[in-house]
Amino acid sequence: MNAKDEKQMLDILGAFEKRGFKGAIIFDVPATHFVRVNLMLLRGLSQERGLPGIFISVDRPHQYMVHLLSMHQIKAEHLIFIDAISRFSADFKVANANVGFVDGPFRIDRLPMAMNEWIKGCNGQSLNLGNGGFAIIDNLSALLTYNSFNSVQTFLQNFIQTLHSSGNMIVPLMMDSEKSGLLYETARSMCEVEIRFKDILSDELPEIGQNKLEINCAKG
Amino acid sequence: MTERKLEERQKRDGLVRLQTGIPGLDEMIEGGFPFPSVVLLSGSAGTGKTTFCLKYLCEGAKKGEQGLFFTTLSEPTQWMLRYASQFDFINKDYFGDQIRYMDLGNMMREMDANQLLVAMEEKIAEVMPQRIVIDPITVVGGMLKGDYRLFLFDLFNRLKNWNATTLVTGEVNPGELYPAEVSYAVDGIILVMLSEEAGARRKYLEVLKMRGTNHQTGKQSIDITRSEGIVVLKARF
Repeated sequence: MNAKDEKQMLDILGAFEKRGFKGAIIFDVPATHFVRVNLMLLRGLSQERGLPGIFISVDRPHQYMVHLLSMHQIKAEHLIFIDAISRFSADFKVANANVGFVDGPFRIDRLPMAMNEWIKGCNGQSLNLGNGGFAIIDNLSALLTYNSFNSVQTFLQNFIQTLHSSGNMIVPLMMDSEKSGLLYETARSMCEVEIRFKDILSDELPEIGQNKLEINCAKG
Repeated sequence: MTERKLEERQKRDGLVRLQTGIPGLDEMIEGGFPFPSVVLLSGSAGTGKTTFCLKYLCEGAKKGEQGLFFTTLSEPTQWMLRYASQFDFINKDYFGDQIRYMDLGNMMREMDANQLLVAMEEKIAEVMPQRIVIDPITVVGGMLKGDYRLFLFDLFNRLKNWNATTLVTGEVNPGELYPAEVSYAVDGIILVMLSEEAGARRKYLEVLKMRGTNHQTGKQSIDITRSEGIVVLKARF
């Protein structure tokens, strides 16, 4: 993470706190920058704010994010991974993390159940969500590779509902509005807040300092 | 919206692509290389492979993306950059910041396949690049202790899981199309070649394979210019 990433991470945290954002928040991010923004969010929410969290890997095995966290010295003791893709990846990369596996990205109907098990401590290590927490999916658009649009839409509703009923959770949903337009619009309608990263990440624009997080009210 | 219409809309949304910046090439491959993927650029000496790679990384840097250039045993970074600086498209400010490099030459002399993989992943995790170049990959096979094919499988699989589009170059002898052992593991193959015609050597480019892409086939004339690097000539007319 460079200085620009850190500044953006602090901007996001500032916006969360100042405006009291909770629940589902949609992030419009270029698809090529998902990893970077995920790392920024984990650094901010997990390390800086000490919140417990769930990281759901759909696009690539969880080991890659674990490696990144370690390389960038981001502490994430209270982070639990749910991995839905490792068993299909033919990848033997090793990582040390609290992780639960689901059968595969085709069974997204089981994901809210798997999350509930972790939240309620069925796996021996429960998440204490008393002071809030967060859940991140890496990434929502990847689900469309394995599931119909309607299944993903239903999953998204259940996912947000499960987390809403579990406490005061922050649920960042990261997508590229240009690449996943329909899903983006659907998810946007379920979110209270929209944060657009499009302009901030581009160096073609004028001074970075002049750019601001564009925060919109998503619903309605 | 009906299921059919939804599917149509999803298909239109399509794959994420990275523009190569090579004039004329992106039009041949539906806008750019799929992201993430591994693409082999194969050609004999003097066909412009390294110039292609540098343009690809500079194009990314221009868009705010991070690039990582792994050199193996072709030429030291010092000399590569000295010659590359003659191109107008090279912005020296990118190098060392938005485009980072790592020389694998010395490591390859000492490490086994797994150690080399670990070293490369450490650098990727540090830099978090969207664009990676390995120039050239073919010399690795001759020097590596261990199973080369297994190494390529693991390496290419991991490069994609790091969420990057990687361009690997393959050196071939004149008349040879591509290194077979590399070609099986990649998502795309682009050939750059020389052909002697009427006493002159002309350069051509051909997209042989590009997964998930309705690409143009056939050889296209190319030129290497000081201002733009490699240019696909057909696209100009």
